[in-house]
Amino acid sequence: MIWTVFRVSLSRLLHNRVELLLAFVVPIAFFSIFAMIFGKGMGSTQTPKIKAVVIDSVQTAESQQAVERIREIPCLRMLDEHDKTRPINEQQATDLVRRGMVTLAIVVHQRVVAPVLPAGAEARSMPGVLTAELLSDASDQVASQVVTGLVTQALMPNHIDLGRVDPNPLMVPDGVRQASSMEPISAPLVHVVDVLAADKANPVISMYAAGIAVMFLLFGASSGGGSLLEEQENHTLERLLTTRITMDQLLLGKWSYQTMLGVVQVGVMFLWGWLVFGIDLWRHFDGFLLMTLVTAGAAASFGLFLATLCRTRGQLNGISVILILTMSALGGSMVPRYLMSETLREAGLFTFNAWALDGFDKVFWRELPVAELWPQMCVLMLSGAAFLVVSRLLALRWESA
Amino acid sequence: MTPNTAALRIEDLRKSFGTLEVLRGVSFELLIGEQIALLGPNGAGKTTLVRCICGLTRPNSGEILLQGKAIASHGGRDAIGLVPQEIALYQDLSAEENLSAFGRFHGLRGSELKQRVEWALAWTGLEEQRKLRVQSFSGGMKRRVNIACGVLHRPSVLLLDEPTVGVDPQSRQRIFTMLSALREEGTSILLTTHHLDEAESQCDRIVIMDRGSVAAQGTIAELVQQTVGNERHVRMRVTEPLELPIEGWQFDATSPGVGSEQLTTRVDDVARQLPLLLQKVTAAGYSVAEVEVHAPSLHHVFLHLTGHQLRDT
Repeated sequence: MIWTVFRVSLSRLLHNRVELLLAFVVPIAFFSIFAMIFGKGMGSTQTPKIKAVVIDSVQTAESQQAVERIREIPCLRMLDEHDKTRPINEQQATDLVRRGMVTLAIVVHQRVVAPVLPAGAEARSMPGVLTAELLSDASDQVASQVVTGLVTQALMPNHIDLGRVDPNPLMVPDGVRQASSMEPISAPLVHVVDVLAADKANPVISMYAAGIAVMFLLFGASSGGGSLLEEQENHTLERLLTTRITMDQLLLGKWSYQTMLGVVQVGVMFLWGWLVFGIDLWRHFDGFLLMTLVTAGAAASFGLFLATLCRTRGQLNGISVILILTMSALGGSMVPRYLMSETLREAGLFTFNAWALDGFDKVFWRELPVAELWPQMCVLMLSGAAFLVVSRLLALRWESA
Repeated sequence: MTPNTAALRIEDLRKSFGTLEVLRGVSFELLIGEQIALLGPNGAGKTTLVRCICGLTRPNSGEILLQGKAIASHGGRDAIGLVPQEIALYQDLSAEENLSAFGRFHGLRGSELKQRVEWALAWTGLEEQRKLRVQSFSGGMKRRVNIACGVLHRPSVLLLDEPTVGVDPQSRQRIFTMLSALREEGTSILLTTHHLDEAESQCDRIVIMDRGSVAAQGTIAELVQQTVGNERHVRMRVTEPLELPIEGWQFDATSPGVGSEQLTTRVDDVARQLPLLLQKVTAAGYSVAEVEVHAPSLHHVFLHLTGHQLRDT
């Protein structure tokens, strides 16, 4: 009897391709995706390069040498590495960080130190010390920490052994006391300035809220699209098509319902984030609403596309789990995209999640004006429309025979 | 419009799927207020015919006329109501919510919708259960809601696919009472069924389909006359198995013959021929234990027209 039960179970598994796929292919696929994310990005011996820009505000021979040394830091990829002829100023650099074009902007300054000497000592001038400000985007919490030590090295190459990171390298001679109005001589040479998060309450939470919300929007949309297959399986769809309703109306009805549900779903999530985690929802409400609408609409179209593509609900469940988890992993819902290699980041642009998260990121993190959302909104709206059209074409099979 | 006017007329309807000819020139008509049973073995083409009538399948050729007017080859039709064999309802909605939804899909709104939903709840006897979810209903209750959702918009032609599958005799009776009420209002009903007794007792006429065409159609009496004739089927059981054929006894196709205790044959005139048969059996040395005489039924007609072979393809 036990053997019979075993055989029946095995036969059923072998007859069900989707179950086989879920049992054997999906775990391998996910292992591979996460191995790529963590293997070639975070945690690997080769740190992914950090996009940066360097500004020399001192313009001395010494500062130029320091800038050159900074440019040669291996983990940095300079935005202007192919074109150094058009120098940018500090304000432009801040803007680049704010827009997410670079993770760091390194501004080289000079600090004048005027030591107060013991009574009777002869006053003498002291040369300025090169310092740097790291204008950083704190959404990448690793970059500034990695770069701080390396920039310090580049500023004071004679004081620090290569490979050793010491944020306070200046040795102050005994008996030398600093004037209280001056910065202490032992102050860090590199000062990190978070240009995005300085005045925000819990800004990272909004990114996690968006990541999770988008993933569950996709799951919700796929499950909503499944109602179409349920109607087909229990012959309700056939019955509906003998009434006045057309397939166009049916699909649009399901799409609008799913979009509305998605908007409410994301809205509830962000309301919770506002109440419990202090997300600054109301100051960014216009951008939030626009991004939520287009993301929910695109997700609803994607759900309908999956439903019309599949023959059964079993197929839909299998395929949607695989696709949505893959898209969420690559698109940044599970692991921040800045931790991924360049290749994976580019691959992520083929997913809903990446575009939607970039949009929410612009709204809550970078605080860019609504007009700056156009690339994300265009991609999401166009893909949503395309999925809806393909769904309509696939649904033809239910109408005519 | 007179009662003899055809509510639905099918003329030389043909449909093929690839090289498979499913309908090969089907023609018949359904009169106003009439109830027809559409019979046929599996694969005879009944479902395809119903799908063509309600606009779900596009026929290759032929015409479908509703009250004398040809209808589009495709798309929904207001004058037709479809009740599928499956319980095609939203199981997680209540009876009232389902009726309301399907009423809206059929174009009813406002007070008319409300009035038709109330009518349907009374018609199905489910007024008290109106707020209960359909999934909690018995098979018979679900069937009744299933039918009601197909007639809310007052169709002139109702297509019912196996409306009594899996229900108890009481529910079956209730369903036919409901259908009678519809017929009194002038609705014409085309019913596909495998319950031959139901077709015989509930329908005015029978259309028997086989291999994509109409094998016979008419009233029961007409079908019997056209096929097996008025012969009576005689079955006799003797006390011992037959050792030799009885002289003058002609076995029919269903008789087991020598070695069995059963003897069957057909007679035209029971009063004259039955005493002679009994005499022959007694003369052969057997004692008669039981005699049955059957008039030909739809069952005989059906098997006569469609044969005894299984139709699994």
